[in-house]
Amino acid sequence: MNSATSTATEHLQTLWRAQPPPATKWLLAMQREAIDRFVHVGFPTTRQESWKYTDVSKLALLLPDWLTNQVAYSPALARKPLDIQDAIHLVFVDGIFQPTLSSGDLPGGMLVGNLDQLAQSHGEVIESRLGQLSGTMDTAFAALNTAFATDCTVLILPAGTELTRPVYIEHFSGSESNSSHPRVLVELGSQSKATLIEHYSGGTATLVNSVAELRIGSGARLNYYRLQELHPEAWHTGLQYLCLHDNATVHSMTIDIGAATSRSELYARLEGSGATLEAQGLLLGNGTQHIDSRITVEHAAPHTESRTQYRAILGDKSRGVFNGRILVQQPAQKTNAALANRNLLLNRGAEINTKPELEIYADDVKCAHGSTTGQLDENALFYLLSRGIDQKAARNMLITAFASELLINIDVPAMAERTREALASFRLNGA
Amino acid sequence: MLIDIKNLHVTVDGTEIIKGLNLSIKEGEVHAIMGPNGSGKSTLAQTLAGRADYEVTGGSITYLGQDLLAMGPDERARAGLFLSFQYPVEIPGVSNVYLLKAALNARRRAAGEAEVDAVAFMRIVKEKAALLELDQQFLSRGVNEGFSGGEKKRNEIFQMAVLEPRFAVLDETDSGLDIDALKVVAKGVNAQRDGNRSFLMITHYQRLLDYVQPDYVHVLAGGRIIKSGDKSLAVELEASGYDGLLAAANG
Repeated sequence: MNSATSTATEHLQTLWRAQPPPATKWLLAMQREAIDRFVHVGFPTTRQESWKYTDVSKLALLLPDWLTNQVAYSPALARKPLDIQDAIHLVFVDGIFQPTLSSGDLPGGMLVGNLDQLAQSHGEVIESRLGQLSGTMDTAFAALNTAFATDCTVLILPAGTELTRPVYIEHFSGSESNSSHPRVLVELGSQSKATLIEHYSGGTATLVNSVAELRIGSGARLNYYRLQELHPEAWHTGLQYLCLHDNATVHSMTIDIGAATSRSELYARLEGSGATLEAQGLLLGNGTQHIDSRITVEHAAPHTESRTQYRAILGDKSRGVFNGRILVQQPAQKTNAALANRNLLLNRGAEINTKPELEIYADDVKCAHGSTTGQLDENALFYLLSRGIDQKAARNMLITAFASELLINIDVPAMAERTREALASFRLNGA
Repeated sequence: MLIDIKNLHVTVDGTEIIKGLNLSIKEGEVHAIMGPNGSGKSTLAQTLAGRADYEVTGGSITYLGQDLLAMGPDERARAGLFLSFQYPVEIPGVSNVYLLKAALNARRRAAGEAEVDAVAFMRIVKEKAALLELDQQFLSRGVNEGFSGGEKKRNEIFQMAVLEPRFAVLDETDSGLDIDALKVVAKGVNAQRDGNRSFLMITHYQRLLDYVQPDYVHVLAGGRIIKSGDKSLAVELEASGYDGLLAAANG
């Protein structure tokens, strides 16, 4: 541990001790355990394989200052919520739930607000579930989230319930200097159905460190979409844990457009036979952004299926990191898994580090993986020019097309639209 | 004069392919260029459209009084030049209608005209699609995505019909077409002949010329035009082949 990271670690420990402790005993114990674990593990270093390309020492250097100089909500940072039809819209500003900004009646099984208060009113429901999926992972940022998360969204959907309205969680960073630790806990009962959208925006000198735990019951279906478009000076670390039971189906789409450094990680465990995961991701980097997105798909039961498709579009001097790992455990016979990664580098200065991995312990499986990296197709570009479309428009058309092949799978048009808007504003320097 | 090509020399990957080509086309004329493989036919088409890796090392091309070689490929298109590609590119994620609307509006803006409104655009598109016997479903699909060879060629002529260029270069539009598809394509081209629009048809075979009658036929060999004539030249070529003509020209 270098001095910057150890200073930051100590600082965070001091901060944790100084904050008012939750009244709920088990929550306090859980938080204490988490801060101790964080102090023990410390910030990850680039010597660790999974953090080789993403250096958080700069964050460690900045964080104590951000945390000691917490600035209140800045009206200069205007919210730009997605226009999602008929949604249950939950707004969190700097990690705190804002009932007055939110809209849509909460369905049965949904709890939103201060975690300590929820723990007191609905203790059993939350205690038995919170940290169950994330706790299995020994990562510093998950621990940090557990130690500092104040507010939370809980959705325990009863069996057989089809939630027709999408749940739209807007995590807005409204201050110029702070950190927030959004926490989401979902459990879909058997044969239930839901759509969940997490949207991260705003912020300047901000760390948004999120954790989502999503358990999908037998035959249930979840559409899970994430859009991260934080300010270009912000930092984002996001961890999502998915656990799929028998015949559960999940479509997940993660789009990272914003932040100076973004590190998003999805861990999906196909625990029940017949579970199916469709996981897609878009990494859009521009300027000097660093976008790290990774996914692990663990096939733990027979007849499970996963299709993973991640794409990066990187301009200017941005850097992308993709790591896709398919792990097929010994009992997971008849697994069908495919992992595809395609990357588009728009400038000489842009860079991608990509690593698809297969780790297979079963002998009767179908697994495929591949990765390609290239530039815009010159033949396609010439074809568009030859139809009278100018260079800039033609390039934008091809860039958007590359992303569109994934975006067409989202059934929340506002999210696809926002992504296309972001792409259209990409600077194409040195093109 | 629509286009005047004088003493054109073009080099591709360090090899000179076109070696002093002269060709003039007036408004309303239909010219055919025939020639064996490797004679420079497609190089000429790509050079006219403005492909950057085709280096013009000598000569000039004047199009509607302007220096065509000083214009970018998109400017040329907006000035009314259209190339029907020998191998149309597949562009997944960009729909046919989206491309066409962008292309049509780019031309209109360049001409100082208002952009086409959605209703009028769809009317044009449907009418032209019917002419080329293209299924409506084609319109919303990605450009040439998963199209057969024949469908790609029909799509090229469909685009030409919508964009209504002043000068269309058809690069081996007939190759890979069965006779029924060829007739449909020919119908599309003939519908565009209005006495003002000019065409340069590049082909290996006489077959297309049975359906689209040219005013002039030129034979390209070794990077230059070695013989010009009327439609009867194509018939002569079909009978005796290129070898006889090349031998005569070299002899």
